[in-house]
Amino acid sequence: MSVTNLLENWSQFRHGHPVDDKPHEEYKWAMAIDLDACTGCNACSVACYAENNIPVVGKEKFNAGQQMHWMRIERYWPEDGREFADQGAQFLPMMCQQCEAAPCETVCPAGATNHTADGVNSQIYNRCVGSRYCSANCPFKVRYFNWYDYPSTDNVWPAEMTQQLNPDVSVRSKGVMEKCTFCVQRMTAAKNTARNEGRLVRDGEVQTACQQACPTNAISFGNLVDPESKVAKQWAHQQVELSKEVQAKDAQEGGTDLRGYRIMEELRLYPSVMYLERVRESAI
Amino acid sequence: MIENGFNRRDFLKVLGWGGAVVALSGCGNTSVQDGAEIVTSYVEPPEYALPGIGVYFNSTCAQCDAGCSITGRVREGRVLKLEGNASSAINRGKLCGLGQAGVQAHYNPDRVREPLLRNGDKGEAITWDKALGLINEKLNGVKGDEIAFLTGAVSGHVKVLLKNYLEALGSKNHYAYDAVAPSVVRAANKKAYGVEMPRLRLDKAQVVVSFGADFLGAWVSPVHFSQEYAQFRKGSDGARGVLVQIESKMTLTGANADRWIAIRPGTEGILALGVINALDAAGLSLPADVAAVSKAYNAERVSKDTGVSAEQISKLATLLKARTPSLVIAGGAAEGYKHGSQNAAAIALLNRVLGNIGKTIEAPANVPFPQVAVTTGNRSSVQALNDSMANGKLKVLFSYGVNPVFTAPAALKFQDNLKKVSFKVVFANYLDETALAADLVLPLDSALEDWGTAVPEYLVEAAQLNIQQPLMEKLHAGTRGTGDILLALLKQRRANEYKDYEDFYSYLRSAVVKNKSALGGAGADDDTFWGETLSEGLVKLPASNGALSAKSSAAGLVLPAPAEEDSAYPLHLIPAVTANLRDGRHANQPWLQESPDPLTTIVWDSWVELHPKTAAKLGIVEGDIVEVTSRSGSVKAQAYLFPGIHPDAVSIPLGNGHTALGRWAKGVGINAFSLLDQVVDKDTGELALNETRVKIGKTGKRVMIVKDEGAAGGSQAGKKIAVSASTDEVELSGEV
Repeated sequence: MSVTNLLENWSQFRHGHPVDDKPHEEYKWAMAIDLDACTGCNACSVACYAENNIPVVGKEKFNAGQQMHWMRIERYWPEDGREFADQGAQFLPMMCQQCEAAPCETVCPAGATNHTADGVNSQIYNRCVGSRYCSANCPFKVRYFNWYDYPSTDNVWPAEMTQQLNPDVSVRSKGVMEKCTFCVQRMTAAKNTARNEGRLVRDGEVQTACQQACPTNAISFGNLVDPESKVAKQWAHQQVELSKEVQAKDAQEGGTDLRGYRIMEELRLYPSVMYLERVRESAI
Repeated sequence: MIENGFNRRDFLKVLGWGGAVVALSGCGNTSVQDGAEIVTSYVEPPEYALPGIGVYFNSTCAQCDAGCSITGRVREGRVLKLEGNASSAINRGKLCGLGQAGVQAHYNPDRVREPLLRNGDKGEAITWDKALGLINEKLNGVKGDEIAFLTGAVSGHVKVLLKNYLEALGSKNHYAYDAVAPSVVRAANKKAYGVEMPRLRLDKAQVVVSFGADFLGAWVSPVHFSQEYAQFRKGSDGARGVLVQIESKMTLTGANADRWIAIRPGTEGILALGVINALDAAGLSLPADVAAVSKAYNAERVSKDTGVSAEQISKLATLLKARTPSLVIAGGAAEGYKHGSQNAAAIALLNRVLGNIGKTIEAPANVPFPQVAVTTGNRSSVQALNDSMANGKLKVLFSYGVNPVFTAPAALKFQDNLKKVSFKVVFANYLDETALAADLVLPLDSALEDWGTAVPEYLVEAAQLNIQQPLMEKLHAGTRGTGDILLALLKQRRANEYKDYEDFYSYLRSAVVKNKSALGGAGADDDTFWGETLSEGLVKLPASNGALSAKSSAAGLVLPAPAEEDSAYPLHLIPAVTANLRDGRHANQPWLQESPDPLTTIVWDSWVELHPKTAAKLGIVEGDIVEVTSRSGSVKAQAYLFPGIHPDAVSIPLGNGHTALGRWAKGVGINAFSLLDQVVDKDTGELALNETRVKIGKTGKRVMIVKDEGAAGGSQAGKKIAVSASTDEVELSGEV
């Protein structure tokens, strides 16, 4: 992508999806995460390591901020100076929010990260030159860079451990950026099956690894275009619209009693992940 | 394209010759060329191996004793990933991080691969024939009571063989050991409800009050409880369940509570009686025996003893009275004291007073075949074993599935006493601390290579016999299944009885198929029934629930006054059982080490949790290396300031601090078991895990704690990232 081309055709490259001229057709993958159900147990994160061939970097590299967890659990304490965290901790599963107007995409000098037709922010490893601009521009800090050649020089999968690697997912080499893909390999498999059978992917037919493991079913995933999918129903009930940066319900006087929100919506990134607020009982 | 008369064909010729030269000079013959291996074309693939397509086989998770059913994804004959098996009522298709790391136990490069015989300081590889022959030889002339078998919790057909083997040896010494078992609660439940482990219906409860039971993290059956918890939170029609957690050190469950109440260590029972007293004041009618005991526990006294405000106690009582049914659970934090049984009994009284017995506390399913039912582990067994070793009574010891050299409290001097046993055989996956102290190490198949059955302790709906089956070919030729080893040993003693069984598989198949009519397979032919059983991964046994005998009584309940200050050792040590590492047996699985502790976000290390107030008093800041000293031992680790701990307590997680086990465990962190004093619960004789007192000193060193708290140090910096609302601000009914 040359700079001239980029500048001349700016409006084509840079707009929030979906827009009237380019709506999502068959699929728009999206997620809803119920923070009141999430217990912070980390099962999702381990599932992601298992599914996506994520290297374990060890203590020293973790300290240098080089951990590769595509899915991490953020933990927050109340910040009002109370003596004890007497309403517990606040956990938040954080992974790529698959923004519709993703800030990582526009800064990639190699066009390695871009949007797929079904609304997922994809990363093309063999196009990535390792500029790391995308990571710098990501407000969620969910992009992970391969500072080392983990399979060989770092030998993170010694001996028999290589046999665990998922053949559906590339093992990344040094110098490329990686991140959550919404388990694109599972979506592709489901789409292929559906196409062979002449139909669309059914709701629940494709599960992300994190969703599948979650012991409290806090994560739902599906096709937002299909109004009958669970995730579409959740978004609709919570009155969160994909293409709005300010939701009508939030503009109401006195706020809303619905729990759905997206993180940093005001940045106009239009994330594909909706969170449902954690709830705490007022009677105790 | 290519000029200078050098065409593509010539180019390929050169390449071809080059390749051949490399092949001839470089490698010599491969094992295929030697005929040692045979290459079979994928035109005739092995059964169910479809190139490029994942196939799924069911088995049972062996990472903890909860007995979740798993589905292994297998491609080209390799197991890639473990997922939950949806047909099990226990985990309903879900699996925790610990369970998923089972593949790393299987592919672990540090597994033991051949039988090892001690030769001085070294282990010398020997053949299985020699190893088994040696055991036979060493047992000759040894009396039955000089032989002991130490295991963790065991059930299923391995338990049957184990029992028969001990019987054949004339020994009654089976010690089932679990360093972090809820054994005091089991005994208290037996007294209060007539069963050791009743079914706890979180899904039916409106309010759950847990006295330190980490049921979402590491307690009994966390994946099952997590699912019930999700239902409990959703409630019916927006009536969301309320969780109150009372403990001195916040667990994962505490971190999810609507109200987390920090209590002075050891006063849980006092608070339970205080709540009963407050319920009385709120107008709930109490049985006479309870009222007689609880009347002394007025709000003022209880508040002074426990450090929980009178207002909080009355709020809790009001909530419990208004919303029924509720469920009160006693867990690790309450049972870990000299008076742990009494604490648990007082907590059980709350359930009786609130009328929960029979509503949210139900009778568990009966296991129709008691011979395969689980023998649960406890801590007093290792004390008993230790005593008989110390007296020089034991000559031969078998150990399977436990690591007592690592987990026994320092005060027992287990390792020294172990030396008094002249022949020690350890069944091992890794060379852990106990295996290193053995005379003979028998390498085991991984849980994903072995056959077996298991009946979990915590049962849902009906009892189930879980099937464990190999998900792939064995990785190492020299390992053997536990059942196979026991069968071989039994054949040495009772050859006639077992001559029909070539291996454990044939024994297992015959034992299951013989009982097919009782297992729901009446009328099916043997092969079909067996095939279906393997395919399902479990057999649901006919539902038959026992009955609770509600005999919870206040008679004989004596709660001591709160522990006195100990000026030499002023702080209470609460060893933390974490969801990932438990008693430390899985510390060599790197996913678990790199998976941050949910509460502190620390990875790859141990730490000492201190309340910021206590830390300020001692002049300690985050990352200070502090020395924690008890009467039994001392460790040095990094300090972490934590808002979820009582100021009188410090907490260190268990599981790390290995001196052996493998590359990812050895030298990581410190072993908190090495601090524990030998103080036991008076009623059960179980080691009281929270009774150790410690003092803390600075060492003058400081490190950067390696953790995942993020750039802002766990602060949301005023942004709306993780949002919380109170129930009166949100409308939950009608949610999808």
